[in-house]
Amino acid sequence: MADVVLKSLMKRYANHVVADRLTLTINDGEFVTLLGPSGCGKTTLLRMIAGLEKVDEGEIVIGGRRYTDLPAQKRNCAMVFQSYALFPHMTVRNNIIFGLRLKKVAPIKIEQKLTWAMNMLHLKGLEERLPRQISGGQRQRVALARALVLDPDVLLLDEPLSNLDAALRETAIEELKNIHRKVGTTIIYVTHNQIEAMTMSERIALLNNGRIEQYDTPRQLYDHPATIFTAEFVGSPSMNFFKGEISIEGRTAGVRTSIGFLRLNKDRSQRIMSMEGKEVTVGIRPQNIYYVEHVAQRRYTDANIELVIELVENMGDRSLIVGKDSGGTLVRFMVTREEELLPGRTMRVFIDGRSIHLFDPLLKLNIFRRDGTI
Amino acid sequence: MKFFCSSAQRSPMAVSKRIIWMTGILLAMLIILGPIYLLVKYSISDGPSITTGGKPIPFWPLHPTLSVYGYLFSDRHFYAVLGNSVLIALMTVACSMLLGVPAAYILGRYKIPGRRIVLLGIISVRLFPDIASVIPIVEFFIFVGAHQTYMGVILSHTLLALPYVIFIGMGAFETIPHELEDQASVMGANRFQTFYSVLVPLAVPGLAAAAIYTFLLSWDEFIFAYFLTFGRQEMFTLTLYLNGLKYAEPQNLLAATSVCLSIPVIAFSMLVQRYMIAGISSGSIK
Repeated sequence: MADVVLKSLMKRYANHVVADRLTLTINDGEFVTLLGPSGCGKTTLLRMIAGLEKVDEGEIVIGGRRYTDLPAQKRNCAMVFQSYALFPHMTVRNNIIFGLRLKKVAPIKIEQKLTWAMNMLHLKGLEERLPRQISGGQRQRVALARALVLDPDVLLLDEPLSNLDAALRETAIEELKNIHRKVGTTIIYVTHNQIEAMTMSERIALLNNGRIEQYDTPRQLYDHPATIFTAEFVGSPSMNFFKGEISIEGRTAGVRTSIGFLRLNKDRSQRIMSMEGKEVTVGIRPQNIYYVEHVAQRRYTDANIELVIELVENMGDRSLIVGKDSGGTLVRFMVTREEELLPGRTMRVFIDGRSIHLFDPLLKLNIFRRDGTI
Repeated sequence: MKFFCSSAQRSPMAVSKRIIWMTGILLAMLIILGPIYLLVKYSISDGPSITTGGKPIPFWPLHPTLSVYGYLFSDRHFYAVLGNSVLIALMTVACSMLLGVPAAYILGRYKIPGRRIVLLGIISVRLFPDIASVIPIVEFFIFVGAHQTYMGVILSHTLLALPYVIFIGMGAFETIPHELEDQASVMGANRFQTFYSVLVPLAVPGLAAAAIYTFLLSWDEFIFAYFLTFGRQEMFTLTLYLNGLKYAEPQNLLAATSVCLSIPVIAFSMLVQRYMIAGISSGSIK
């Protein structure tokens, strides 16, 4: 167990920058996820921490030790690859103890470790099987067992669940959380799946083009996206964006957009009073737009927007509706029931003023910073 | 539509296809087995079945006999020669593998500078016919004192086999997923440990093929063995021994020797071929 400090890491491939002065601190025992779209550099970052990729500039410090130029085999990291990379010619048992043998651990200790890992990951009875003779879920657990027996300073997981089906993945997520609680190893987890990231990690580092967009708890990432990219990437279905201009109507400030004037809650309305006329990008999550029949109508009559349903997408318990307002702007939102909502019907929705995000269209940053400053 | 798809319509096609296939296979077998049949037949023929005095030679000897084998195995020189060939072939396999496998790994896995030139250099040995390269190489061997030694013959055969071992080996190593190597090094294995405990076991099918090929090459080789053992009968290999039998009596001694020459090759191939199983690396990825 150890803390991980990355100091302004740089990594280039030919003309492509995969890590751009990247700085990140991970506490001892923390579960951190590197989240981002394909090609954002998250796997490369993980491989740099493991020592499988060279670092062009910057430093990697793990547990106070400078790791930057240390070859992979001298670092005390363990890694689970997306493909699991089990040694196909070795039995489950030999796969798990491979690293311990290399470290010349005493045979009795090796047996203890093996039993411990086999029990924890429910692999008992598979000791003598070859990787090709066990299921995908079992292979994933062997890969994890093989990493955990090494007592690594940091456990690196590269999309370890992406080859599992949905049901297995859910169990695996639970299991992984349990293991982290029991073992307490620092875990760096790479994924492009935000549900995995949201459910498992204590903090998420959202990566984009080799830079960290935001490094925060899953809740903060969702509730207070610092940038337009975060707002767009986190949350499913993704956020609605409209062009808008801050204006004052009566005694409150709001934003004038193509779908109408959107009123903010009182507290934030005060904070943008001085910015009248400023152009902004308005972000509203589909989950924060309500079908008017669902809310107390009298209270919100002034925030209604009329839409014509274009598309209904059934998502199981809820439906995603794409509606078009009189000006042609498309608005995506969620409803819990879909019975009468067929394309072509007109409906009224209400937008919750507390959940409107405002971004600077040039800087692509949230106008309301987390610390309350504008 | 149903009419056209009925089995009555389809089966003539299938039958004619099958006939063509079977004819092809039979022809191929005839070409392969024909000479072997002739060889075995001659080796067990008695005199009148070979010298028929104008009558057609029978398909099967009139009086099959193993007498010529008895004659062959009573020749002490034959045992020495057989021993030489086995020793030289096995040592050649050992040397070629020892040198060729690590070279194949490095050349196949790493983009080292000058890789192409090195590969060209390795293959260049095979760009000349043996008959052309034998003189300068033997002269060099004489110069370093390897002339008329077993080591000389072994080294010359290794020289001929190495390009094949390296190229076949490179193919074998290339198919192994890079992640296995990465995984091993993250788990604390240095390059050498990764090589012998992960990569070599996985390359075994390809390396087995290379070993069989090398054995065969050394076993069959004539020119280098001829020049390097020149004048020393006790160092002769089977091919050289066979050369000495050209005009020997009885006439079928040559056939019997050829049969004896084939058996160790078949044995070695069958022994090693067990390692040429496909799909050894399945289950590592996903």
